[in-house]
Amino acid sequence: MNHLSSETFRENARAALADAHLRGALKNATSLFGEKRKAAAASLPNWEDLRTQASAIKDEVLSHLDGYLEEFVGKAEARGAQVHWARNAAEANSIICGLATERKARVVVKSKSMTTEETHLNDALEAAGMQVVETDLGEYIIQLAEEPPSHIIAPAIHKTRGQIGELFTAELGMPPTDDVAQLTSTARATLRDRFAAADVGISGVNFAIAETGTIVIVENEGNIRLTTSLPRLHIAVMGIEKVIPRFADLDVFLKLLPRSASGQRMSAYQSFITGTKRRATDEGPEELHIVLLDNGRSRMLAHPVTRQSLACLRCGACLNVCPVYQQVGGHAYGSVYPGPIGAVITPQLMGIEKAAQLPYASSLCGACREVCPVKIDIPRLLLHLRGEITPRKGSVAERLAFKLWARAMMSPALYKLSSVAGRLLQRVMPISKAWTSGRDLRPIESKSFHQLWSNE
Amino acid sequence: MNNAARESILGSIRSHLAASLPFDSLEHPVHPENPVILSKPDSPPQSLLELFAQSLESVAGHCIITTDISDALKQILTALKAQRIAISDSPQVERLLHAADLEIELGVALNAHDIFRFDVGITTAQAAIAETGTLVLDSACERHRLVSLVPPVHIAIISASKICETLSEALTLLRSGEEISPAVTFITGPSRTADIELTLAIGVHGPQELYVIIDGST
Repeated sequence: MNHLSSETFRENARAALADAHLRGALKNATSLFGEKRKAAAASLPNWEDLRTQASAIKDEVLSHLDGYLEEFVGKAEARGAQVHWARNAAEANSIICGLATERKARVVVKSKSMTTEETHLNDALEAAGMQVVETDLGEYIIQLAEEPPSHIIAPAIHKTRGQIGELFTAELGMPPTDDVAQLTSTARATLRDRFAAADVGISGVNFAIAETGTIVIVENEGNIRLTTSLPRLHIAVMGIEKVIPRFADLDVFLKLLPRSASGQRMSAYQSFITGTKRRATDEGPEELHIVLLDNGRSRMLAHPVTRQSLACLRCGACLNVCPVYQQVGGHAYGSVYPGPIGAVITPQLMGIEKAAQLPYASSLCGACREVCPVKIDIPRLLLHLRGEITPRKGSVAERLAFKLWARAMMSPALYKLSSVAGRLLQRVMPISKAWTSGRDLRPIESKSFHQLWSNE
Repeated sequence: MNNAARESILGSIRSHLAASLPFDSLEHPVHPENPVILSKPDSPPQSLLELFAQSLESVAGHCIITTDISDALKQILTALKAQRIAISDSPQVERLLHAADLEIELGVALNAHDIFRFDVGITTAQAAIAETGTLVLDSACERHRLVSLVPPVHIAIISASKICETLSEALTLLRSGEEISPAVTFITGPSRTADIELTLAIGVHGPQELYVIIDGST
């Protein structure tokens, strides 16, 4: 598997920048997503009010998370759901594998779940002897290619239709094509058979409602509905931060999420699942198990700044507007959570020493904060995390450069001289390879501000 | 269940929240001074029926407003050359289909094994949302989870009086009963994906076509 490490973001990014194919795909995808989001947000007169409201609801939940979680669990259990608590990925995987093994399951269908990507559940299930099938089209593609997702809502965004065609020919024996409709219908036909054979369906959760014990899952393809309707056992895996207080709060979140994620007014399907079925003859699974995962989340509650990380809806809007993500894509982050939100979540989940470069993978431009549907102040979070990283001593050259810079800035004569010298020197020497190897250095203007000002 | 894990997670939440308290007071309140009132989008000039039809068509669904549902059903099924029709357990659907008088194989309230070979699924819907073109299917009222999902075509029948304007109204309606149903599904258009190069493809795992027949006689 092509698993890059978060520890080597700089190397990963350099490799990604050299991949013209990838950069073309990223440019198309992020600009299209960005435009669609903008148009969808503009179509609501009170978009800013909705963001404020959503942010306030999330803040309320997170600052009383124990109470809301207990309320949710109590309500869900009263309706027949069985709730499991998992402190870490290993516990979650062992609970899920145990449930499947006890029921002698062979085939597991999964709908898209970032949380189970985080716990590497598929590896655990396969080790327990199950066939695991990802059913979201993007996830199915990257499962066939044995690659990790590169975008939160479009996992195969880094692949072209041509590459997917070749993959389907090699893996599914499909005649070569790059026609999107044909590729999609081949995936549909192949996966129907797996849905029919599945013993277990595993889904994620978008919202868990405390007052009713309901889980809400949002999608476009219909694979979540199949995953949660056909097999006799449904296991829903959620981070502990997914709770919202009231059913009525969905009004805010169901408006914000699809518009932020894909620019849609409404995703094609929302499934509201409350406990198990009432009569044995009803449709739907016999059993509903909900796995609550901590895995480092409760630690983030220890400070109001880090706590914000838990408000994330996983819409992916911050990825699409981020000048760093737009250039390097998702894999460079070496985490299932890429982009600006990944740069703040990954170091907190994995331990800051394992992802110490990620809080620096940002220009702090603030575009992520502007689009976040729950107003997470990602630049502030990045700065907060940088503060937690043991100060790194710069190189001798770097320290010398800043000393000289400080001197020059304090003396008008030296400043003037340095700008003239800079203009001359930039023609003959590369300023700093560490900077210019991954970026273009803008040439210094031929006339200084002072000269322009006095000419006016 | 694993009580140790439960206590450990709740304990961790409480202790970390307590650790945060001294910093919390330094923050600007996230809560707005006054509760935010979410204004309704400007009410459109047209009727709910027209708004629903327009919203549904904008997501590639077909909307038929009629006073003769049987006839509409007959026309759609004939045009589709549908042979095997799966229906929910709604007596209304069965009655309408009989009135349409077609030569077809009918499957009623099928189970998960049988449903895969059917061409069309027909159900009613318990409510609809005009501003988004959304159908609301409540599993406590009708056996339609699989019929509305597995066949490549879904036809839903609804009376005009069940259309509400906003998402908020539909959510309130769902909460109005004694307890919320085990499974409620919102459906907005046919199933879709853009997972390959963000190119829209209609019809992935759910139906490729969605017809909504609205009984406009009431």
